[in-house]
Amino acid sequence: MGMGGSGIIFDEVCHTYRPRRGRPVLALDKISLDVRDREFLALLGPSGCGKSTLLYLLGGFMPIESGSITTHGKPVTGPGPDRGIVFQSFALFPWKTVRQNVLYGLEKQGMPRAEREQRTKELLELVHLSAFADSYPSQLSGGMKQRVAIARTLAVDPGILLMDEPFGALDAQTRALMHEELLAIMQRSPKTVVFVTHDVREAVYLADRVAVMSARPGRIKEIVSTEKPAGAGSEFLQTPEFAEKVEHLWGLVRDEAIRAQDAAH
Amino acid sequence: MARMNPIGRNLLGWVSVVVFLAAWEILARSHVFTEFLLPSFSASFERLVEDTLSGELLRNLGLTLLRAFAGFAMGAVAGVVIGVCMARMPLVRWFFDPIVSIGLPMPKIAFIPVFILWFGVFDESKILMVAFNALFPVVVATMAGAEAVDRVMIWSARSLGASPRRLLFEIAIPAALPEIFTGLQIAMPIALIVAIVSEMAMGGEGLGGALMTQMRFADSRGVFSGILAIGIAGSLVVKAMELIRRRLLVWHQETQSG
Ligand SMILES: Nc1ncnc2c1ncn2[C@@H]1O[C@H](COP(=O)(O)OP(=O)(O)OP(=O)(O)O)[C@@H](O)[C@H]1O
Ligand SMILES: [Mg+2]
Repeated sequence: MGMGGSGIIFDEVCHTYRPRRGRPVLALDKISLDVRDREFLALLGPSGCGKSTLLYLLGGFMPIESGSITTHGKPVTGPGPDRGIVFQSFALFPWKTVRQNVLYGLEKQGMPRAEREQRTKELLELVHLSAFADSYPSQLSGGMKQRVAIARTLAVDPGILLMDEPFGALDAQTRALMHEELLAIMQRSPKTVVFVTHDVREAVYLADRVAVMSARPGRIKEIVSTEKPAGAGSEFLQTPEFAEKVEHLWGLVRDEAIRAQDAAH
Repeated sequence: MARMNPIGRNLLGWVSVVVFLAAWEILARSHVFTEFLLPSFSASFERLVEDTLSGELLRNLGLTLLRAFAGFAMGAVAGVVIGVCMARMPLVRWFFDPIVSIGLPMPKIAFIPVFILWFGVFDESKILMVAFNALFPVVVATMAGAEAVDRVMIWSARSLGASPRRLLFEIAIPAALPEIFTGLQIAMPIALIVAIVSEMAMGGEGLGGALMTQMRFADSRGVFSGILAIGIAGSLVVKAMELIRRRLLVWHQETQSG
């Protein structure tokens, strides 16, 4: 890794939304956070605390007004294929078929035709959507759209993967399958992941560390290490350590959720 | 009605037209009005067939449609370009917004004398008049569509490696296509109307010009058969637009209910 430090560094990042009508909203307040190279970091926090905002800033979609974000020592100034993102609302291209959606990023990379067709085929198999390759997004269920969005982002093989509640629309079984697939992908081509979720168990199971955010304005309240013993699989879900971490994080999130509710009244 | 098969329901939709034509026929044959004031439907239709067979009608119809389509195409292309630019460039928006909001509801047919003065009474003048009228609904629909494109979709494309210059053609226009097409569907009948009215005012060949000539020669059967031809051609063109929409927008939700 370069001399400028590896991974992702948030340094006192603030963000204020200024809607045309209405008052400015301070969404993020002095976020400082280091994500290590090839670390899987989960972000937990009540609705509206600024999780998506944090990903958008890291993705380079909105200007960083105060503070700074660097990835591998380079400041974030705009979007780029080094940071792939799976949006909470999928953001698929509705006029393209499932296959064309996945192909888009590969075309932009200039990958030769045969190779990108092959890669698209593999990715659609991975997310179990081969049978729907020629369907349009409007013909798919929410969970299927989510899987297309994941395949489209994984296709370009970004070093940093940003995921905004990527499994939120999936049923429990598909979600468990996707967990295993995601972990397998991480093993094959390790990435730095920032993963937003509402599901505490999911966070503890997938992540190396879990950052809990406070109710708006979003701050990092606590970071909990959830490192698993090497080679631990889904049987880890049954251990007392797992239950303990989940319990601890639940407590933190619940407090913030209650505070968020009180603030709304 | 809800349980009728689709063909039955389609035919039923035409009942009002049949009733209207029957009423016309009965009224004309009852001799309340003279043949000159109101020729019967059957007589007008007979004339329509005659003129079709002689080729006269087809030449006039062809000319009118050609002018309507040429003007429509010019208005559509210019409308999409202006609409997209207005949606994406604040300066262009600031400049054009007042013109568009005045121009859209204005009866632009009032410009016929001006167009005669500037461009004469021949094809170019009629086509430009059509283009001028077809332009506005396309501008407004395109602007609304391009503005409503989800920013997250644009971000998606950017993070997949699209350059900002490609976003317009690869994302904004395809995403706005349903709205753009709605604008085109509004502009098409306007183009037909303005083509015919321009022909009426400027003279020469074409359905509008022929109608005026027939009226001057007291040929009311000719006038009514011309109106029938316009009605049939217009509804076929509108139907064709609907079919194209269904082909072009297969991906859009609305087209998947059937
Ligand atoms: N475009 C916007 N204009 C104004 N305020 C906004 C805008 N987007 C978000 N906000 C505000 O910023 C705060 C953070 O929003 P954000 O979407 O980042 O929350 P979140 O943590 O992702 O919530 P959720 O879990 O519900 O997705 C919210 O309180 C929201 O009201
Ligand atoms: Mg969010």
